[in-house]
Amino acid sequence: MLRMEGISKRFGATRALHNVELSVERGEVLALIGENGAGKSTLMKVLSGAHHPDSGSMTLDGTSFQPAGPHAARTAGVAMIYQELNLATDLSVEDNIMLGLEKSRLGFLKRREQRKLVSQALETLGHSDLKPTTIVGHLSVGEQQLVEITRAIVMDAQVVVFDEPTSSLPKRDVDRLFQVIERLRSDNRAIVYISHYLEEVRRIADRFAVLRDGETAGTGTIADVSDREIISLMVGRSVEDLFPQVPHQPGETILTIENLHGLKKPAGSSIDLRKGEILGISGLVGAGRTELLRCLFGLDKVQSGEIKVSGVSCKPTPRRQIAAGLGLVSEDRKSEGLAQSLSILDNMVLSRLEPYSRGGWINPKKIVASGRDWMKKLEVKAQGPHQPVEALSGGNQQKVAIARILHQGADVLLLDEPTRGIDVGTKSEIYRLIGEAAADGKAVLFVSSYLPELMAMCDRIAVMANGTIRACRNTSDWTEEDIMSQAITN
Amino acid sequence: MPEATSPDSIKPSSFIAKLVSGELGTLLALAAVIIFFAVADPIQNGDRASFVTVRNFRVMMTQTSIVAVAALGMTMIIISGGIDLSAGTALTLSATVLAWFLKNDYPAFAAVAVCLLTGVTCGLINGLLISSLRIVPFIVTLGTMTIFLGIGKLVSNETTIFPSAAQRPDWISNLCSTKPPDMLAGGMPNLPLAVWITLLLAIATTVLLKYSVFGRYIYALGSNESTARLCGLNIPLVKTAVYAVAGLFVGVAGMYQFGLLKMGNPVEGIGLELKIIAAVVIGGGSLNGGRGSILGTLAGAAIMTVIASGCDLLEVRNPYQNIIVGVIIVAAVLLDQVRERRLAA
Amino acid sequence: MKKFFTLSLHSVLFVLLGLAFLGGCNTQPSESSNAESDSNASTGGDRRLQIAVIPKGTAHEFWKSVHAGAERAAEERGVDIIWKGPQIENDTAGQIETVRNFITKKVDGICLAPNHSEALQEVVEESQLSDIPVVIFDSGLAKGAEFLSYVATDNFHGGELAADQLAKAIGEKGKVIMMRYRAGSESTEQREEGFLAAIKKYPDIEVVSSDQYGEATTAMALEKAQTLLLKYGDEIQGTFAVCEPNCNGMLEALENSGHAGKVKFVAFDPSEKLVTGLREDKVHGIVLQDPVSMGYKSVMTMVDHLEGKEVAKVVSTGEYVATPENIDGEESQRLLHPVTKE
Repeated sequence: MLRMEGISKRFGATRALHNVELSVERGEVLALIGENGAGKSTLMKVLSGAHHPDSGSMTLDGTSFQPAGPHAARTAGVAMIYQELNLATDLSVEDNIMLGLEKSRLGFLKRREQRKLVSQALETLGHSDLKPTTIVGHLSVGEQQLVEITRAIVMDAQVVVFDEPTSSLPKRDVDRLFQVIERLRSDNRAIVYISHYLEEVRRIADRFAVLRDGETAGTGTIADVSDREIISLMVGRSVEDLFPQVPHQPGETILTIENLHGLKKPAGSSIDLRKGEILGISGLVGAGRTELLRCLFGLDKVQSGEIKVSGVSCKPTPRRQIAAGLGLVSEDRKSEGLAQSLSILDNMVLSRLEPYSRGGWINPKKIVASGRDWMKKLEVKAQGPHQPVEALSGGNQQKVAIARILHQGADVLLLDEPTRGIDVGTKSEIYRLIGEAAADGKAVLFVSSYLPELMAMCDRIAVMANGTIRACRNTSDWTEEDIMSQAITN
Repeated sequence: MPEATSPDSIKPSSFIAKLVSGELGTLLALAAVIIFFAVADPIQNGDRASFVTVRNFRVMMTQTSIVAVAALGMTMIIISGGIDLSAGTALTLSATVLAWFLKNDYPAFAAVAVCLLTGVTCGLINGLLISSLRIVPFIVTLGTMTIFLGIGKLVSNETTIFPSAAQRPDWISNLCSTKPPDMLAGGMPNLPLAVWITLLLAIATTVLLKYSVFGRYIYALGSNESTARLCGLNIPLVKTAVYAVAGLFVGVAGMYQFGLLKMGNPVEGIGLELKIIAAVVIGGGSLNGGRGSILGTLAGAAIMTVIASGCDLLEVRNPYQNIIVGVIIVAAVLLDQVRERRLAA
Repeated sequence: MKKFFTLSLHSVLFVLLGLAFLGGCNTQPSESSNAESDSNASTGGDRRLQIAVIPKGTAHEFWKSVHAGAERAAEERGVDIIWKGPQIENDTAGQIETVRNFITKKVDGICLAPNHSEALQEVVEESQLSDIPVVIFDSGLAKGAEFLSYVATDNFHGGELAADQLAKAIGEKGKVIMMRYRAGSESTEQREEGFLAAIKKYPDIEVVSSDQYGEATTAMALEKAQTLLLKYGDEIQGTFAVCEPNCNGMLEALENSGHAGKVKFVAFDPSEKLVTGLREDKVHGIVLQDPVSMGYKSVMTMVDHLEGKEVAKVVSTGEYVATPENIDGEESQRLLHPVTKE
């Protein structure tokens, strides 16, 4: 039915997809599996017409398929069901399904004809119980998803792509979704199902395809392979010398967290961190890792539990935590991590102006001098210290963010996805900085979704799932497969 | 999804662009408006032309100073990412309070002190409401705008307070005076006290924004509040302080207004806040926060006065004058948008 | 490219500016009278006298009539007038700015209707020091500044006339209210004082409220009048309001509350609505001023002075009460339908 052959796509210097093969037949569910950043989303964006591949070809039912954009792909019969639903919540089920596809004469809706189409589609999915007149905002998330799927049926989609469809669904709705997918399969349509969860994949899929680093790592029939085999396909990669090692020796405990609860997440996390140690935190997106760091730093509210820095218990606010020697690099450089319109200098020194001020007045010369030093030390590439941060590349921006907490003199570095969206060269430099910080006796809490970097950099790795820390072991006691299965299994 | 970045892909410096579109842009616009009238006035009025005279520049500077001094504070607020719609009524409230104290024979210094204090208090109230209730400044100050008007009416007993000439100290009466002579003996232009105070405060504010920790915090807050929080700034304190300091300027402007009108009438300030905000916006202040400059604001306020003066001298009717000022405001905002989009690209 | 873009934006801005000015200047001929062919050529050399006439506002009928009178005088004497008022009647600061700019412009004379008796004093003084004579019209100026002449309705007398008419309407007996305009407006204060002084002559009439201000716009006056009627509406027999926006607001409030006709109402200054009210027994007297004469005499006085003639310190422009009985009479009709400019 659908065939994608030799698909390659580059973004600047970064290779997102390389020679990817993928095919799915009518009446078949294909599971697309891979780590975050393996290229699943990019591949699906190519399929849906949002990206155009640099090379490769696609065929749909034997004819060439080159969608000019998302709309063209839809009309050609490829429908995407995303995690975030795209519905007009104030309109009815019918109006949503028919939005943009209205049957009308002289501008007046042909209600009867529309109603017939919608009821037929709902029947196909086995959900005649969903009333077309209900306002979509009143439906549960699962039912809303059903509306989107119905829309795909009305458009006569032959290929339906589900992008992590269960991530926001309760158990009951998941079962219903699977029934719907069964219906679609027996209706002889082709389905691509993207998910992390191996259990789900086993339940619903016939075949699988694993993507890794933008390449097809393996395909096969799901019944023929074990979980372990799939996981090794997902992570199986040699650790290159991408990771410069700086010798460091863990010392005494500096940060202790006991049974920490935030508003939603974390939900009872305990861990301790030592000086001169790099502690990695792994887990899936939404496991509560970012929330853990934010609670620690006082950015999110702490509901209960205890945080001790150097043995002193504290109620965190960013101000207090900075004073206590904590520093946070936010996962979101753009909207939180950096003041984009301010200069490199201003961003670097904002959390610690004391060395440059007397009685509230600043000596800009001192700032420039010190700023230049830091830029040199971290090899920030820019035209000058006064350049606004927004003009820098992602990697250089991240260096500025790291420079800030180093300049601040933090003893505990909380790094949230510090290498996300950064080119390989800069990644390596950031690993070196992390290693040097640890060698300098600083404690590093390193949150990442990229397992190889945790495996290579960390002394210990903790795995988080559903807001709690599942396990924390020395890195040598982990295999990537163990970590994945800890993170994935519910 | 890896981002398309490489270490070498650094954008070219925005220095020149910044210069052209930033405060220099406003200064160029001011120069252009002045040149326009300097040329148009003799064409229309022949030997009666008077735009380029010492007298006219004296008058224009004096007229500018009331809006400008309040706009200094507004610049700080707008840089910090806020807005103050209550500035106009807070300004006349201060003037009304000053009038009341003079009318009731309090010493002038006490009356002026209370006037300034009134401005600060108004700002403090705004700041506290904004930072403690976490309501957007637009709404809070929309509310306090009428509250201050109401308080003003209470103070003035819903009429106008005018102290007699004997109750007004001379220096206040002459605060915004443009009486002849135009030049003092010694070749100095005869500028009223208001102009000097405004210039002094403008320098002070520039220094404050540029060389103080507080100034850095104002820029950081307006540029990205989340980052400011991340860096451990005491955000409620900074916000409250910004509004309070701006309130001081509003109080000074209130003193000017009294000096000009010799009376306190709380309704005189309605609509003034828009002129004040317009000065900042024309001067390159971004309503998204993080950007704005004192020099730009002064130029922005001056542009509006120059247009008013030029239109009077060229005998342009009021409706056209309104349209011209409006066009300039929209153009200034458009320019800001273009700047923002280009930087975001 | 960037630079070019921003620069071009600036140039677009100035093209727009230029266009707006063209629009502004094209209307010039209608602004100043070009009575080239006029027989009464002015004295004093080869250039025409330029006189600025600054009203309190431009929106009300009254000022348009003043404008017409001023234009007529300008035509007769062969001078140019510049008519420029603030956008809203209570923009005192704006009026000060306008006067200052005309001093800068070195016009030959300024006719000014001051928004506020104290606030405008300083600029009148400034004008005097710059050797530009000032005629004050319509509304007075506080003592202190020197000016040439005061051309106005005898507002105190107008107030007295209003009191007599209201007394007559209610049978010289009962309770009345008076709504003031705004503090510091000399002309209306004179009316208010005239009214209060004259009403004292009637021992059986009691003024129950005379301390409320309607302020500058009809909307504000309406609000205030409604409050007053809510409080006193059922106990009073008569009411007096002191100027056009005030009276419009009061009449509207009377109609809204159902007191129109029951409560006798004497107004000061006419509007179409008020005249209709007079015919419908909702208004029982309108004190009429002579705005055309005011504009005419202001400019005439100024030109007389500039031509070296002696001028009177106070010039009265006359006042007249229109009643339901005399509304169709010649004098009422002349004053109700003065020529207006535009």
